Amino acid sequence: MVVRALGLTKTFRGPDGGPVPVLHGVDVEVKAGEFVAVAGPSGCGKSTLLNLLGLLDPPDAGEIWLDEMCVSRLSRRAQCRVRGRSIGYVFQSFLLIAGLSALENVLLAARYVDRPRPQALAEARVLMERLGVAHRGDHYPAQLSGGEQQRVAYCRAVLNAPPLVLADEPTGNLDDGHAAVILAELRALCRERGTSVILVTHRADAAARADRTLRLHSGRLEAQGGERSS
Amino acid sequence: MVAIRRLLPRGYLFTVLGIAVGVAGLVALGAMAERITRFIDGGDRFVLGQISVAGEGMGMGTGFTAGGLLRAAKIEQIARVPGVAAVQAQVMMPLDPTTSQFLTLTQELILGVDPAVRMPNREFRELPVREGRALRAGDRGVVVVGADFAASRGLRAGGTLELGAGRTFQVVGVLEKTLTAPDRFAIVPLDDARDLWLRRDPLLVQVFAGGAGGMSRADLNTGAAAAWADGVDPDALARRIQREVPGLNVTIPGELSRLLRQSTAFFSALLFGIGVLGLVIGGLSLSNTVTAAVFERIRDFGIKRALGATDGQLLREVLGEALGVSISGGALGVGLALAVGALVDARVLRDGQQLFLFSPRLLGFALAFSVILGGLAATYATLRIVRLSPAEAIRRGG
Repeated sequence: MVVRALGLTKTFRGPDGGPVPVLHGVDVEVKAGEFVAVAGPSGCGKSTLLNLLGLLDPPDAGEIWLDEMCVSRLSRRAQCRVRGRSIGYVFQSFLLIAGLSALENVLLAARYVDRPRPQALAEARVLMERLGVAHRGDHYPAQLSGGEQQRVAYCRAVLNAPPLVLADEPTGNLDDGHAAVILAELRALCRERGTSVILVTHRADAAARADRTLRLHSGRLEAQGGERSS
Repeated sequence: MVAIRRLLPRGYLFTVLGIAVGVAGLVALGAMAERITRFIDGGDRFVLGQISVAGEGMGMGTGFTAGGLLRAAKIEQIARVPGVAAVQAQVMMPLDPTTSQFLTLTQELILGVDPAVRMPNREFRELPVREGRALRAGDRGVVVVGADFAASRGLRAGGTLELGAGRTFQVVGVLEKTLTAPDRFAIVPLDDARDLWLRRDPLLVQVFAGGAGGMSRADLNTGAAAAWADGVDPDALARRIQREVPGLNVTIPGELSRLLRQSTAFFSALLFGIGVLGLVIGGLSLSNTVTAAVFERIRDFGIKRALGATDGQLLREVLGEALGVSISGGALGVGLALAVGALVDARVLRDGQQLFLFSPRLLGFALAFSVILGGLAATYATLRIVRLSPAEAIRRGG
């Protein structure tokens, strides 16, 4: 899936009610099957950019296109459909639902796109087996380690085989071993399925695995990194 | 607790308990209001069902409870008034002669009636018997007791009861609960009641011994209940009796009903206040609990929105959970109120009282109320949340 963002601008309200500009007219293009890292200092707008691209927050100005569709102008309901079918998310804090077991958390991705449960269940089990968390299917998030939670969150993000995966510091809370597993999986997604992956990261080793690195500074894109042959 | 936890969506236990407390308050207050309503309505039905007559000058309060005398000749005159279908002589007196002779709402009374004469009250053709039998013509030395009267003394059919003046009666029946005056009655044959009256009142014995005024046992009545023929206006008939039979104090059913309503206006206002208070307290507690439970899960809703959940899907999901939680909380609250009510009533029953009436309509209303209000509160909270972007919902949920 080709992702294009034109002139993305976002301003939040600060504690005193005053405006806090975060993004200033950012343009981004990510090709189908491309693995792009977004790097930059804390507070530069990396996560905000990812939230806008994933339709989790509306931009104040600018457009977001997925292939030939301007998704930023879609209705709220249509954006829900796009999120469910076309975008997978992996967050630094995992964002698993505490009241659901690991397997139920994974299956949640299929619930809102009306996938038949037996099919989704079979695929969820295969995915969890591959990531080494199948035996933890009945456990609740609080009963899992950070590495296990992130692998469950990853399974949830890719269960519907979305053409775009957005990962916000997915290795930020993991040790090197678990971080390597997640990064390898994201890399494999691009290579094997042609999934576009946008990864926000602080880790140099993570950025090094990307085809390209976008550097943000004070809400502006600095420079396009050199391309890497995959 | 473990069983309840298994039945509920994870994390909802305290929500259910919160709802249960609100519903329990609503049901308990409602049950007290129901009890008062039934008592007042029962009294109203009774006075509207017959024309009550007492001796002149004594008034309803004293004359009907051993303060006055309604002689047999007067009763025969009443029976001859056109429109009167039947007249039943009665003796009514307080069980405890040391208490006031005035009729009170909660007093235990001895009622003497002639079982051979049909009950003249149109609203209470016969008092329903729960255990044993009703009085029969020719009975002597037996008693039928009201439900509270029996419960406060542990009486059953076949037992015995001392009604004062050294007279012991065999209990032949226990009435079903009527939630009004007969619950505290001890009903005996008329002749037995006359005996009790004579034994209790030395002055009356002296009057009899002296043969004053040619009195006989048949003259020993504290009052009478008159029935009207079909199609007769009871208020008009009561006035006609007053006019045609001198020396009586006749109650006009319609006027007495109005008086009763006026005198119980305070209770009516009280129960209205109790009902409103129950609705407000229970409603606020319930809606606040459900709304807080939904807002507590704002992060979960943000995650679900990120996974593609539409407003409708989220609303259906939340309403489904709210339904389960509200029904569980409602049922638990009803159970809690029933338990508390049973405990309190078990205590006050020793004094022949009952504080709560858990009618089916009240319990049904409480459950429906909890489900509807729970659904509305959940809908309100969900609609507030879906206005937020998924990222904002996740941020606010921490």
